[in-house]
Amino acid sequence: MDAASSNSVTFYDFLDRMRNPASIDLVGSIKSFIVSFSFHATNPVNDSKRFQDFLLTMESAIRDHPLWAGSSEEEVEQALEGLEKYVITKLFLRIFASSTEDVKIDHEITNKINLLQSFLKPEHLDIPSYLHNQSSWLLAEKELQKINASKAPREKLMCILNCCRVINNLLLNASMTENRVIAGADDFLPVLIYITIKANPPQLHSNLKFIQLYRRQSKLISEEAYYFTNLLSAKSFIFDLDAKSLSMDKLEFEERMEAAKASHQAAPVEPNAALISHHLTNIRGPPSYPFMDAQAEELTVRDVETLLSLYKDVVTKYTSLRRAVEKLNIHRPEQIVQKDKIGSTREVESEKVGIERSSAE
Amino acid sequence: MGCSSSLPDGSARRLSGMDQDSAVAPDAKNLRVKLVLLGDSGVGKSCIVLRFVRGQFDPTSKVTVGASFLSQTIALQDSTTVKFEIWDTAGQERYAALAPLYYRGAAVAVVVYDITSVDSFTKAQYWVKELQKHGSPDIVLALVGNKADLQENREVSVQDGLEYAEKNGMFFIETSAKTADNINQLFEEIAKRLPRPLTS
Ligand SMILES: Nc1nc2c(ncn2[C@@H]2O[C@H](COP(=O)(O)OP(=O)(O)O)[C@@H](O)[C@H]2O)c(=O)[nH]1
Ligand SMILES: [Mg+2]
Repeated sequence: MDAASSNSVTFYDFLDRMRNPASIDLVGSIKSFIVSFSFHATNPVNDSKRFQDFLLTMESAIRDHPLWAGSSEEEVEQALEGLEKYVITKLFLRIFASSTEDVKIDHEITNKINLLQSFLKPEHLDIPSYLHNQSSWLLAEKELQKINASKAPREKLMCILNCCRVINNLLLNASMTENRVIAGADDFLPVLIYITIKANPPQLHSNLKFIQLYRRQSKLISEEAYYFTNLLSAKSFIFDLDAKSLSMDKLEFEERMEAAKASHQAAPVEPNAALISHHLTNIRGPPSYPFMDAQAEELTVRDVETLLSLYKDVVTKYTSLRRAVEKLNIHRPEQIVQKDKIGSTREVESEKVGIERSSAE
Repeated sequence: MGCSSSLPDGSARRLSGMDQDSAVAPDAKNLRVKLVLLGDSGVGKSCIVLRFVRGQFDPTSKVTVGASFLSQTIALQDSTTVKFEIWDTAGQERYAALAPLYYRGAAVAVVVYDITSVDSFTKAQYWVKELQKHGSPDIVLALVGNKADLQENREVSVQDGLEYAEKNGMFFIETSAKTADNINQLFEEIAKRLPRPLTS
């Protein structure tokens, strides 16, 4: 499935239509909506409501618009997806992780997961051994870690769904080869929790909140809502996790947590380390590179997928590390703060393309 | 070990071709219903749902259904259709506190126990109380005593199940996912009890 590229084609199609002089009224509404956002203090609940209402208004405007006359339901849908992505990308800095409370929760979760990563095993969540599958797990983790690759709520949600799809396939395959009942949520949730801990996806709390508030409401239903709820539930479980949450001796849990804290504190902390932490989020987590001792002749074609994913993983980590090191060497802390604000997620194409028309105005 | 392989009962009223999500808002004729499953691990929730959703298929066919989210559309006598979107929840004790995230906004909650386990019946009562406290006020509640085929091991009488359900304004039924007994009836009865949006 080539969702990503068909997605950007759709998005460019939306931008094209918006450059058409006939859409001047729609462009006017979009611009004044974006501008009106800066008149109010940020308030997630109000902002979300205003955005959702705006989408509904625009939906009927688009359905009635000459430019979409005779269009299929699908084309209208695509326009709405384009609109969501465009407006949210413009407002992103205002609305994403906008409260200090959210930033704090994100940090707490990231830190807690860092500690848990150092000792948590699948057995602690009673994940049965027939579901232990390093390459599936790694794929699922990678999907979740892509969550900041886009600013669009739809694309963020897709990362969650892709991760859950990998887990589902693992469960289905296991139930077929093991010839047992598909255990459903009893198996699914523990695996998702474990994957989430292994992946430590960036700004987990803020991303979930953001999707909930800004994904078009009629699209966060059914299967999408179910898997979204599961990640919400995994986050909540991790946030509240204590000795009683795991199949682990209470004392041992506490000792392991203490040890993990001590070793994290012992690591030399640069004064500006936190500021560049987002460059490093891709580097954390215990790497597992199952092919380190492999010989070429042992490999089969089926290993290609895993190898490719590992290759991408290594390159991503290397690139992040290099970038982080460059930042440390070249920039002074203040400059890093600035960079942090604009660059905290990879820029998407939509930022660089406006819906300004050069001729029509 | 599977969910038994006896033939499903002969209801020919499932409409599998209709499962794709339509963008149109649900109307009076075509309802989309969120149904959440609650109950101890092992009482047979997964088997009930698989029986309901896959019952008509050749049991050997590989159906790529999600392991924990399933949907099935049924047609009622009055030519309305109901699409059940079935949300499974993890039954292990350590996840009990997460249940509200799942039953929030559900139109139906099906609480399942195993008639051969008093403990599972006690747990079912815990879920009923939870739902009464925190579920949406107009939620349709069903109490299901499963594994009715295991009469010789019965620990919970029909009477106890029925009385508890009546006292709490719930619909009650005993089922067997193994023999498919009462599985379709369960979902049909739920469909009848759904509040209908007014036809405009
Ligand atoms: N005899 C009998 N066994 C059942 C019935 N339903 C489920 N089981 C068995 O009970 C076990 C647990 O079922 P499952 O659906 O996985 O329970 P869940 O944990 O609630 O999803 C499995 O071994 C099933 O084969 C039933 O109606 N009768
Ligand atoms: Mg189950």
